[in-house]
Amino acid sequence: MARASEGLGDDSALQFNDLTFTYNGAEAPVLERISLEVGAGEFVLLAGRSGSGKTSLLRAGCGLVPHFHGGLIEGEVRVAGRDTREFGPGQLADVVGYVAQDPETQVISTTVAAELDLPLRFRGYSGAERARAIEEVALALNIPHLLDRSVSALSGGELQRVALAVALAPRPPLILLDEPTSQLDPVSGDELIWLLRRLNEEWGVAVVLAEHRIERCLAAADRVVVMDRGRVRMDGSPAEFLRYANRSEPALATPGSRLFNLVGIDTPPVGVRDGRMILRQRGYRPEPGQGGRSPGRAETGNRRSSGPRVTIGRRRDRARDSVLRAKGLWVELDSGEGPVDVLRDVDLEVGPGERIALMGRNGAGKSTLLRTAAGLGEPAQGRLDTPEGIALLTQSPDDYLVRERVGDELSGPSGEAALRAVGLRVDPDADPRDLAGGERQRLALAIALAGRMDGAELPGLVALDEPTRGLDRSLKDGLAELIGLLSGRGAAVIVATHDVEFAAAFADRVLLLGAGELIADAAANEVLSGGWYFATEIARMLDRPGVITVEQGAGVLLGRDPVEAGR
Amino acid sequence: MTRLSPLAYVPARGVLQTGALAPVALYLGAYLAVCFLSDDPAVLAAAAAGAALAGYGCGAGRAVRFSFRLGLALAVTMILVNGLVTSRGSTVLVRLGEWPLMGRVDVTAEALAAGAAIGLRALGTMMVIGVYSACVDPDRVLRALQRIARRSALTATLISRLVPLASADGARLNQAADLRGPAAAPVGRFALAQRLLGGSLDRAVDVAATLELRGYGIAASTGRSRTVPSRYDRRLWLAGAVLGAAAVALLLFGGTLSAYPRIEYSPGVPSLVMAVLLLTGGLATWRRGGRVRGSRI
Repeated sequence: MARASEGLGDDSALQFNDLTFTYNGAEAPVLERISLEVGAGEFVLLAGRSGSGKTSLLRAGCGLVPHFHGGLIEGEVRVAGRDTREFGPGQLADVVGYVAQDPETQVISTTVAAELDLPLRFRGYSGAERARAIEEVALALNIPHLLDRSVSALSGGELQRVALAVALAPRPPLILLDEPTSQLDPVSGDELIWLLRRLNEEWGVAVVLAEHRIERCLAAADRVVVMDRGRVRMDGSPAEFLRYANRSEPALATPGSRLFNLVGIDTPPVGVRDGRMILRQRGYRPEPGQGGRSPGRAETGNRRSSGPRVTIGRRRDRARDSVLRAKGLWVELDSGEGPVDVLRDVDLEVGPGERIALMGRNGAGKSTLLRTAAGLGEPAQGRLDTPEGIALLTQSPDDYLVRERVGDELSGPSGEAALRAVGLRVDPDADPRDLAGGERQRLALAIALAGRMDGAELPGLVALDEPTRGLDRSLKDGLAELIGLLSGRGAAVIVATHDVEFAAAFADRVLLLGAGELIADAAANEVLSGGWYFATEIARMLDRPGVITVEQGAGVLLGRDPVEAGR
Repeated sequence: MTRLSPLAYVPARGVLQTGALAPVALYLGAYLAVCFLSDDPAVLAAAAAGAALAGYGCGAGRAVRFSFRLGLALAVTMILVNGLVTSRGSTVLVRLGEWPLMGRVDVTAEALAAGAAIGLRALGTMMVIGVYSACVDPDRVLRALQRIARRSALTATLISRLVPLASADGARLNQAADLRGPAAAPVGRFALAQRLLGGSLDRAVDVAATLELRGYGIAASTGRSRTVPSRYDRRLWLAGAVLGAAAVALLLFGGTLSAYPRIEYSPGVPSLVMAVLLLTGGLATWRRGGRVRGSRI
């Protein structure tokens, strides 16, 4: 361990002293002998696989553990010098802000303005002070247009920004964030991380941020703490973390550091800027005139890139045997605040076996497209057909799990066929809610597929809405494998996602929606290498059209054909 | 983008939305008290109808219709369950023979009537809760409760947030049930209700935790918020007081339905007076020129 708990100073924002915590009813502690100090004004990134104890550590840091999530606690936690065993979350609220994983549970009020007003009112701010604080935090998080909206009508990403604004409005000296970018599009995610850095630099706010998409925030962090099975495994600088990850925990390594490791560069890059600088020092130059070119509204099948191309199987036949056809599709929604056009004049054809990432900013219409395809909404104009059927998994797979036994959810030959189709082997007596995150997701998908398969034949289209929320990279790899399995058996798979690295891992085609319009439709390596935000770390680092994955990047750096290298 | 729950509060210029909390609480509380206290079917039906009128007057038609459907489903369930589990009563309508565990099952008119009375109570209660949820700003309730129950974040949360939370969760669960494959085990209303109850209680605890994190328990004096008076307050005070007094009188003089061994019910004058009061009381939320128009509800 590079750094431990020695030398706890008076100016620490948060201290864990030999903390061990076991939830009520649990057999093993979720946190074990944690000793850690976060200094005032530090920016700490908390990394670790799903279930490693990050969320519990953050809950302990704001008093929710043990006051709301009870259990056996040993050792102590001090927030700004206050012992959390004596001070509950309410009494710590003036010194720590907390943003939990699920923004829907963090909404109290009816409108966004009332939501922002609430903590300030509780703290006794005057009317003028409240008005100014609300205005400033709304501007900082780019949400002034949401202030009068009902919280019930916000998308997940908008809710997440509001939850963060509420935590920041009283300007606490310490803020704890649990995967705050999990529902944000790449643009909002990047903006959020740099806003946190700005608050950290200009106002001295200490930040502890748990994230799975480490490449997004590593460059902003002063320090990284790695958790594994309830213990702190590593505590050091971002560069030390990358060396540790490449050596001992590859699932945590960023794409850039994996690339450098693969081509034998010793210095791991802490972010894109760092990576480009190292590469430049070693003589690498991006192709001239290619930087930042963004793909326009591409015609289906149009290839405008001069870089390596991926041949997409079956695309030539798409028009003949489409599993999804949209023609002049307009969808209007009224969330209670007046009707709005959510999809505008969308033309789309999807062929069998395609693996498609559906991307775009929060509120761009991704979920609406999938829901309309699944029959949960009606087009206002135009047509949308899925002639060979569709199975849709919505954003909360747990909503599909109603029974207490897996065998009660899915029984008989059709149920067994659906379980086989998603590659899930579990005890039929197991409680669905006791399964691991990835298994629950597969079970929910099997429930959606059951009976929609013709024997072992899948429906024409399988749609997944934001399936990577809360998943670490190894679970995402498992999901990409599942998508490959489904696609290999002939089903087209559309995944609405904000995760560009995940999209690069599974997709052969990317649809980019902007304010309800289809603004790009092209091969994944073209879309994900041609922009500023919707681009992978490798694409931003190498700035080479068509190069988006670690393997393709290594091909470029080692002078091999990147397409062949990427296979 | 999610569709707003039918029970979600939407700001509007209606009488209940703009009225001060105390008279609104008295007014809707009187209806709720009648639903809990009365055994008289005519009075219970009038309470449900009066609450519906009050909701319509405030532009909460969607909430009224949603609550009616929910209450009706509950009422039908209660009639069926009571009909099957209670064999008392002398007018046997159907003999269903011997059932495992339940023994001999005879469906009697009296058991169905008793079930209907309980169902009416549930229906009325649902209507009042629906109108409350759609018309009373939970933010104001929360601020008011903070003054009188500062330490009890959970209570405040349960009161002000459980209904919209359960409603949103229910909508999501129903949607997931619609998306289940045809060969997956069908999900009945009971299984969904059980799942919803467990999930909603967990969510309510999560929201209570969030309230604490927001500083609900901080001892800082927030001062008493200035209450903006509404021109309808006097009307609501009056209607609430009359209905409240009538509810107490009902306890003393009201009629009841006696189901066993034979159905005996003859609504007396007090019951009829009460029914008329409850119905006309529902018009207290109607404004000159008709109900609220252009509402988003």
